[in-house]
Formats: sequence, C-alpha cells, structure tokens
Amino acid sequence: MANEIKIDPKILGEILKFGKNVIEAPKLVAAPDEIKLETTPYDVAHREDKVRLLHYKSTTEKQSHIPLVIVYALINRYHILDIHPKKSWVRNLLDQGLDVYMVDWGTPTNMDRYLDFDDYVNGYLNNCVEFVKDEANVDQVSLQGYCTGGTIATIYSSLHPENVKNFVATAPVIDGWRDTTVISNLAKHIDVDQMVDNIGNMPPEFMYYCFSILKPFEQGVEKYVKLFQNIEDKNFVDNFMRIEKWLSDTPPIPGELFRQWIKDIYQNNLLIQDKMYVGGKRISLKNIKMPLFTQVAVGDHLVSPECSMPLHYAVASEDKTLRVYPTGHVGMIASSLSQRKVLPELGQWLKERS
Amino acid sequence: MKSESTQNVAEYYKHLSLFWTDLIHLMSTKPQAMTSVGPMRNFAENSKKIAAQLIDANEDLMEFNKHLAEYYKQLTDTWMESQKNVNFKAPEIPNDAEQYEAYKRVWIDIFDNDFTELFDSEKFGENYGKLVAKELELTKHWNGIMDVMLKSANLPNKEEIDEVYKELHSLRKRVSKLESEAHKKVKKNGE
Repeated sequence: MANEIKIDPKILGEILKFGKNVIEAPKLVAAPDEIKLETTPYDVAHREDKVRLLHYKSTTEKQSHIPLVIVYALINRYHILDIHPKKSWVRNLLDQGLDVYMVDWGTPTNMDRYLDFDDYVNGYLNNCVEFVKDEANVDQVSLQGYCTGGTIATIYSSLHPENVKNFVATAPVIDGWRDTTVISNLAKHIDVDQMVDNIGNMPPEFMYYCFSILKPFEQGVEKYVKLFQNIEDKNFVDNFMRIEKWLSDTPPIPGELFRQWIKDIYQNNLLIQDKMYVGGKRISLKNIKMPLFTQVAVGDHLVSPECSMPLHYAVASEDKTLRVYPTGHVGMIASSLSQRKVLPELGQWLKERS
Repeated sequence: MKSESTQNVAEYYKHLSLFWTDLIHLMSTKPQAMTSVGPMRNFAENSKKIAAQLIDANEDLMEFNKHLAEYYKQLTDTWMESQKNVNFKAPEIPNDAEQYEAYKRVWIDIFDNDFTELFDSEKFGENYGKLVAKELELTKHWNGIMDVMLKSANLPNKEEIDEVYKELHSLRKRVSKLESEAHKKVKKNGE
C-alpha cells in the first residue's frame, strides 16, 4: 500500500517499555512524602519566632576558627544545600573543616505579614550572628547568602560590616534591571501594593506559577518522561525525587518584605544604586570592605549572571573574587560539579581567610 | 478596549441597579426602623452593601475575562508559531528511533525558546500584570462581601485582624529589641 506508515519496531519497543515503567513506578519509587530531605545531622542552636539557626555537627577534628553562617533564600527551603549525602553543600564544607550554621526562615503565616527587611536583616539575621559570635567566642563570622538570601546577606554586610569577616555571595539578586529572566519580567509588571494589601503574604502559588514558565517543556514535560524512562536507575530516581520534593515546597513570603523586595530590587532597582533603605538606614554597597567571593552560574535562569555580577564591581573590598561556573542556579549548589569544582574553591578561599 | 457603547450599557445597568437597591433600601428602612430593631435593620443595610460589591465585581469580571482571553491567545499563538517552526526545521515524520529522538529534541528546544521569548516580552508582562490586578480586584470584592457577613455575625473582619497582626508585629519587635538590650547589659556586666 502506498500510504502505509512504517514504524520502527524500536519505537514500539520503547513505547511498550515506557508503559511498563509507568505501571511499575509505584513499586520502585518512594512517594515524595516518604523521602526525608535532611541528610546531615544538626542541632537547633537558636530560635526566634519561626526562624531557626541550625548548627551542623562537625565531621572533622580540626576546625577553622571562623564559623560560617549560611543565609538561605526566601524561596523554597534550605534542604537544597543538604539535599543528598553525595551532593550536600553543607557536608562538603564540614568535611573541609568548616564550622557551619544555617538560617532556616521557617514558614511565615498570616500573622507575619508585617515582617519586613528590617526584621529579617537587623532582627532575625543579626540575632543569629550575635548568637554564633557568643557561642563560638569570636568577634566576626563568615557569611554566605544564596539567591534571595544573598541579597539579605548583602544588606546585612553593608549595615553590620563589623560582624562579617568574609562574605560569600552565591547567585545573589542585586541589579534587578539587568536581570534577564522571565521572573524579573513578571516582577516588573505586577502591582505589588495591590497584591500585599489584598492578600497579605505572597502565596506559594505565585512562585509555583513562576517556576512553571521556566523552560516549560523541558522542565514540565521532558523531565517526567525521563523519570519514567529511567525508573529502574535508583540513583537517578533518588536524585530526581529529592529535587522535585524540594521544588514543590515553597513557603509564603511575608507581605511587607515581598512588597519592598519587588519595588526596591526589581522595579526601582535601588540596591545597586545605593538608594535602598532598611530600618531607616541607607544601604551603601561601598560599606562592604571585607573579602568578597561572588559565585554566579552562566546558565542561571532564575537569577541571571548580569543581575548578580554587579555586586563584585560595586563593593569597596580590595580582596574580591568572582567565579563564573558552567552550570545553573541549582547546579551550582547541588550537583557533582559543585562538589568537584565550586565547593573546593570556596572552602579553600574561606580557609585562607579564617 | 471596551467599546463606548458597551461601556454605556454597563454604566446604565450599574446606575439602574444602584438606583433601585438604594431606593428600596431607603424605603424599606423606614418601616423597618419603626417595626424592627437590630438584626433586621442590619440585614437591609448588608443587602445593599453586598449588592454594590457584586455589581462592581461584575465589571471587574468582564475586564478579568478580557485579559484571560488575551493570556490564552498569546499562549495559543506562540504554540502555533512554534509548531510551524518545528515543521520547517524537521519536515519529515520520524520513522526510526534515532530520528524520533532528534525530532523530540528539536520540538522541545523550539517550544522552550519561543515560549521563553513570550514570557520575557513586554506584551506578556503587561497583560499578565493586568490579569493579576483584576484577579486581585475580584478578591477584594469577595473580601468586601465577607466583611459584611462577618460583621453581621459579630465576628472580626480582615481589616480588624490585620490591625491585630500589625500590633503583634510591633510588640514582637519591641520585645526583641528589649531582649537584645538586656542581653548586651548582662554580657557587659559579666565581662
């Protein structure tokens, strides 16, 4: 027959195998709820309202003198920095002899809608740093901020430079007008006053929407096809489910903090222009004179390198390093590349200055 | 944009309905005031407030639908354009496993690029911003209706609860500041 469609038996075989994998998936894979994301043991060293300061148990006998306080982002949760024993940011730093603390912002509720940058920077974060200084008996700490946590840590380092010995900015959101991601396009067009006045905290659903428009076909379709194709590969499935669980759990952002975040960073771009105010004080990036290590990822589609890199050029630090890695926003902190390249460089840099 | 005649018709019906609800409210309050006290009078007042919210919500709903239609149009247009680009780049129907893989890759790359371009565009951002704004307006009307109902049930409404939250926030801040000052004093005395 002239119109006969020929189908490669290999394709048919693939389709049949795919169908079998879909049916067998529940037998082979744990449900996201059954997966525990934290892998490295820690103590809750300090609590204030819903914020917790986690102190990770050291894995080496000799430790660097200056503790490292990691300021996690406002989006999703801190678990990504300890997502898998073999890809854990925290464990790697512990193994390099660093004393690691992490700020977990918790889950804000409606009652927290009036929390703003002042509360986060001069309240919670400052109290965490003061606690670490007391506990470790030091005058200064090393501070690392990731993503939006990088912005909070930047503001902190400008307002409280006396407390920060070294500052590590990992994909920080700094220059909103230069950000080329679709997130910044939405952020520039939403009426944030109306949103906060009407619904209070930024709802997680808004963030899930933002995630859904980031490479929608690769991230929304292809990766699930890959999951079922690789359902028998335990390692692949374990990694996949951990990241998926992490991605699907983002807390609300306190309304007033979100309002200032969108207006001052994305819409009016005040931080990089030294015009942003927090707690009645102007944030000048020139106050940042301590050693600075900026890490950015070329393929970052959440915070573009153009948005993060201006920090490196705006500060007054004489000892400053900028590293650009061939990976993405999550790849920079939770991948084999981060274990192989990003973390050894960071650990070395910190140890030389601690 | 809404045409002038549609606008006029909407305005007319808004006026008509407000006129009658207002008039009925005024007329009904007189005998009610004489014959009833408390809840019945409140009920008449509440009905008017709820009616006003519903009328305004209707107008916002029209605008919301307009932006929602534009939102889906943008997605559909981009989909059609992407499919055209895929057909141009890979005109043959794949008939073996390798070709199929290559076709899939081309399809995903083109669709991701075209959609990212859309999401990054001014026209998408503008329409999305207006869509969310109208959705929030509708939420505001719903909150307005809830406020009336909560008030009639003698329960605190959103505004009153927000006031409590604000007060709590300010108290927490003061307590934290006092704690921090006390801690500093203790530390200083201990040294």
